[in-house]
Amino acid sequence: MRAGNIDRVKRRALQEAVAENLDVMRGMPPRALRPATRRMRIWLRRAPLILVPLTLLGSTYMIANGNGAGQAIAPVRAAAVASGRPGFPIFHREAASTTMNAERVTASAFPLTVRRVVLDAGHGGSDPGAIAPELLEKEITLDIGRRLRALLEKNGFDVVVTRDSDRTIALRDRAQLANTSKSDIFVSIHVNALERHTESRGIETYYLGAATDPSLTELAARENRVSGYSVSDMRRLLEGVYADARRDESHELASTVQKKLYDALRREDAGLENWGVKRAPFLVLVATDMPAVLAEVGCISNEKESAMLRRPEYRQKIALALFDGIRAYAGMPATEKKGNEQNG
Amino acid sequence: MAEVLNVGIDLGTSRSAISASNGERFVVDSFVGWPVDMVARKVLKRDVLIGHEAVANRTMLDLHRPLERGLLKEGSEKDVEAVRELLKHLLRLVGVNGKDDAANVRAVVGVPAASLRTNKQYLRNAMKGIVDSLLIVTEPFAVAYGLDALLHTMIIDIGAGTTDFCVMKGRYPTDEDQRTLTVAGDSIDTQLLKLIEERYPQYNVTVFMVRDWKEKHSFVGESTNTVVVSAPVKGVPTDLDITNELKAACETILPPIVETMLDLLARVEPEFQERVRNNIILSGGGGLIRGLAEALETALKGVGGGKVKYMEDPVFIGSDGGLALATDAPEGDWEKLSA
Repeated sequence: MRAGNIDRVKRRALQEAVAENLDVMRGMPPRALRPATRRMRIWLRRAPLILVPLTLLGSTYMIANGNGAGQAIAPVRAAAVASGRPGFPIFHREAASTTMNAERVTASAFPLTVRRVVLDAGHGGSDPGAIAPELLEKEITLDIGRRLRALLEKNGFDVVVTRDSDRTIALRDRAQLANTSKSDIFVSIHVNALERHTESRGIETYYLGAATDPSLTELAARENRVSGYSVSDMRRLLEGVYADARRDESHELASTVQKKLYDALRREDAGLENWGVKRAPFLVLVATDMPAVLAEVGCISNEKESAMLRRPEYRQKIALALFDGIRAYAGMPATEKKGNEQNG
Repeated sequence: MAEVLNVGIDLGTSRSAISASNGERFVVDSFVGWPVDMVARKVLKRDVLIGHEAVANRTMLDLHRPLERGLLKEGSEKDVEAVRELLKHLLRLVGVNGKDDAANVRAVVGVPAASLRTNKQYLRNAMKGIVDSLLIVTEPFAVAYGLDALLHTMIIDIGAGTTDFCVMKGRYPTDEDQRTLTVAGDSIDTQLLKLIEERYPQYNVTVFMVRDWKEKHSFVGESTNTVVVSAPVKGVPTDLDITNELKAACETILPPIVETMLDLLARVEPEFQERVRNNIILSGGGGLIRGLAEALETALKGVGGGKVKYMEDPVFIGSDGGLALATDAPEGDWEKLSA
């Protein structure tokens, strides 16, 4: 490296070192993890989806005020769909409505899209997950994951799976795959086991946050076994995660998935309990960049539920309920819903 | 001392080094001891002993090693006091005496790569009143800066408490560029002591003796000489051959270091990997382990080969880098970094 270049690199590195010190002195979080930075990135990524409707609304306003008469008014939805890639329909979180009144433009007029979904079948390979006689969590999650994938793909979603066979994959690698695939949401499928309460059976869905109940920390520790993260990786991830703006989105996704799961599965088993939406520090949720949830779709330690989980039809119901949850979160129009229920 | 004095400090678990802009350089053992009672104070004629003196007189002292794995031990006021004494001692060695002199000192202190922000803030609090301005950087960065090795280089800094890795990418390293292992000089001492006690149960051996032997004779790979040391048996100095034990203890750090080195290399952009492989620098006291650079080069053969450089002056390489940073930092920055 030439002397001039060395000086430039040294100057820049020194400036960064000073900036980091000043941040520490002021008690500020790392720059890369600050919500403002993250929000800015999210806004930049979605800028086309915002600018197009804004432009159209502006045109609409001008027409309404008599400026620009004769210009074509394109519906917002059509414009947004046009910005998607061919072959991938876009499902809007909020149905945008055209309006003649510019003053009514709010954030809800800018539809966020769910185009690509990461499905994470929990455990696998040397990590069997929870175990019941002749039944392994890793097999159930893989089977449900495959079924859910088929449902999503049939309905135009782009699906990325962290595993499609019985193999060991570190949680870090799962999260990395999700992050590099530029997916919109992450859904991890797991099955619960309550060794001390075998009479209990229920479903619950997690999103990222500090666990308020110590038993949830235990559960997270069990699910986090094959992590692949070093201590410094973990520290970096945890330092900013609880202030993460995507948590709200994850909570919304978790609520929708939990509701659909419970509504659907309770019809199969009246004794099924709704354990609700909870927060816990599962690694796959910590390390993923997008809204992420972990669904405990059943309870293998309960004899009755274990028997149900063996049945392919019941697994299909679970997959369908998960699909409904994702679809509801994506805000897919109800007209498409009817057809989907025929799948599987 | 009216002029500004820039200093670089490598605050180490085992040894701490200081390099100052007046040309002075010192290294001391990171031990601080206070006489245990009036008798000890009378014998030692001092209120506090630091470094080698403290180790030599440890039986009469409340001895503290204030840094653990390269970080200031938290929660112990005595250890905070000990680190302040250690820092004041280092500064006295380079000619800083009293508060007036301290008001002209600008210090850059190196800490392990994996230090948390709270650790840094804790250190900053401990240094209040000792220096005028303080910049805390990661130790491998200080090393790289001092060597002008900020691009396509990997620093492996083997200290007593930690082994720090850092890939330099032409910027201040982020968490992704760095790793810290707690496999380092201290873990070799522990292992060596255990192996010697197993083989020679009749010998009276302490961790301080083991540390001395390691620093003089450590090696990995094939040994060229037999390592014979002396330890008392029932009070009688007796020779013992520790060649095999020393080799085994030193080699315990190899697998984790190799694995971490290769893992970090694999994360470098593919087009730069070869350049980084050929620019690996060993620093810290662990860099003095004979055969270590060659052992790492052997491991690199599996991924296309590489070169590991051993620095001639590994003890001061971090503090010299800190001094270079202190010298280059603009006046305006120092004003913002008051301790």
